[in-house]
Amino acid sequence: MECRVLSIQSHVVRGYVGNKSASFPLQVLGFEVDSINSVQFSNHTGYSHWKGQVLTADELHVLYEGIKLNNVHQYDYVLTGYTRDTSFLEMVVDIIQELKRANPNLVYVCDPVLGDHGSMYVPQNLYPVYKNKVVPVADIITPNQFEAELLTGKNISSQKDAVEVMDLLHAMGPDTVVITSSDLPPRLGDRFLVSLGSQRHVRPDGTRVTQRVRIEVPKVDAVFVGTGDLFAAMLLAWTHHYPNDLKTACEKTFSVMHHVIQRTISYAHELAGPGRRPSPPQLELRMIQSKADIEDPAIVTEATVIS
Amino acid sequence: MECRILSIQSHVVRGYVGNKSATFPLQVLGFEVDSINSVQFSNHTGYAHWKGQVLTAEELNVLYEGIKLNKVNQYDYILTGYSRDISFLEVVVDIIQELKKASPSLVYVCDPVMGDNGAMYVPENLLPVYKNKVVPLADILTPNQFEAELLTGKKINTEEDAVKVMDLLHEMGPETVVLTSTDLRSKNGDQFLVALGSQKIKNPDGTSTSQKISLDIPKVDAVFVGTGDLFAAMLLAWTHHHPKDLKTACEKTASVMHHVIKRTITYANEMAGPGKKPSPAQLELRMVQSKADIENPSIAVKAKVIEKTSDQKL
Repeated sequence: MECRVLSIQSHVVRGYVGNKSASFPLQVLGFEVDSINSVQFSNHTGYSHWKGQVLTADELHVLYEGIKLNNVHQYDYVLTGYTRDTSFLEMVVDIIQELKRANPNLVYVCDPVLGDHGSMYVPQNLYPVYKNKVVPVADIITPNQFEAELLTGKNISSQKDAVEVMDLLHAMGPDTVVITSSDLPPRLGDRFLVSLGSQRHVRPDGTRVTQRVRIEVPKVDAVFVGTGDLFAAMLLAWTHHYPNDLKTACEKTFSVMHHVIQRTISYAHELAGPGRRPSPPQLELRMIQSKADIEDPAIVTEATVIS
Repeated sequence: MECRILSIQSHVVRGYVGNKSATFPLQVLGFEVDSINSVQFSNHTGYAHWKGQVLTAEELNVLYEGIKLNKVNQYDYILTGYSRDISFLEVVVDIIQELKKASPSLVYVCDPVMGDNGAMYVPENLLPVYKNKVVPLADILTPNQFEAELLTGKKINTEEDAVKVMDLLHEMGPETVVLTSTDLRSKNGDQFLVALGSQKIKNPDGTSTSQKISLDIPKVDAVFVGTGDLFAAMLLAWTHHHPKDLKTACEKTASVMHHVIKRTITYANEMAGPGKKPSPAQLELRMVQSKADIENPSIAVKAKVIEKTSDQKL
């Protein structure tokens, strides 16, 4: 498989977020990963302390120029995640537009990180950039419920709402949308959360068809960091292998997540000791240890096709 | 296996040198790799063009402070390679000294990158820093012949010279020394180059065990970049699994190198087309494609024991 991904995300010295979360699993699955590190921090910002440096929009441009000057700016995928800087994000958009001109088949996988649980955790002025510039060039997006509502201006109170929101997102650009988590009531009980996906494609005869899926995933009583980054990377991988079968792509992606998270929470509790809440360092994803699950995830969540 | 490495090396957006070369194979072998990127360049400097930014000594210190403040500065290994900046290298030394105080059994794997084929390709003023500060802290050292001669002030013309130079290097600090390539003539002919290794381990009872080995490595008609970084990383991994058996550690390391290089040159020649010399971009190591060889290298290079002694306790 010759497949090259350009991933523009954070780097942390220790732990698994951003490029640290995305690169290893993609490489293990045989993808070539070119990575531009948007920041270099000691660790993610959920620890008591964090220190490091950020890449400016100009420095990002310089790196891209280097790749371009050598004529090696051909990519099959671009992957982006958490960004805090408007000018940086706008430079990312410029780069993607140019890369898409160089390769019209390029697939841009975008995690539109804006916030969660009802509030934004990036500067507010990123919102119009995502809405007007980023999402329109995206092919696959992975918003959570809050981000999907923010981008479309429509609230999700039912599965019907969610389907409408996903259709609105399709109209903005991406043919594949996965709402990674929602507050919708799970059928399997309150130990689960509901995710939904929607993929639009055009059949050879010209008709358009949309496949929609619903997945219920076990909730875990802990705050993980880097899981969204791993999710987007694995959705890239599994939609690559199942480009017209969102059901299977989602089952594999959510299953990998489940295995990594289970391994992580078990280990974290072991380290923390009985009755103690694990710390951020203890909750770092057990990425390396999950190699076999990443390579060949046993399916533990089934997706239901919904109309 | 719970084993954590701090690797302080370059990052390139595209390709496999520095941390890009070392991290994936170590992770694939189950090591936790914390990586501080000393630079971020678009690609290695052998391409027609390269662009990017360097980390200052101060910024390196800031990153380390972050790790320290969170009390997660416990490492089993440190790995360093190509450096161009004295003040950066000196902060690296400070960090290693502090980490060794925190974990006395920490193993520092050092590739003392200074030059090759008779010429230095880093600033000259790095030599005294390597000689006086870095090498004394190193536990495993992977110089090429030129670097070994530079550090010891002794030329290598025969296998006997090489053995003496490795002993001199042991006296400077490292218990394990591997001369990654030499100009010595191989008994198998000129399609091979000779590498040598030496291990001098102090046993708890005061005696020391020493083993010296030599390897004949098939030459490949191409210039690869990042192979030294891969070598040091894999030597870290295989000496970890075979801490008192340098022969096996070197056979596995040299064999991984062989598989990766063969896969790379085959692909590069395919990409370039018949009769054409592959470009630097085409010669990037086929790292991701070599995962199976990295995980479990079939032995393609055998090592010969050339000296094995155990001191008698006096």
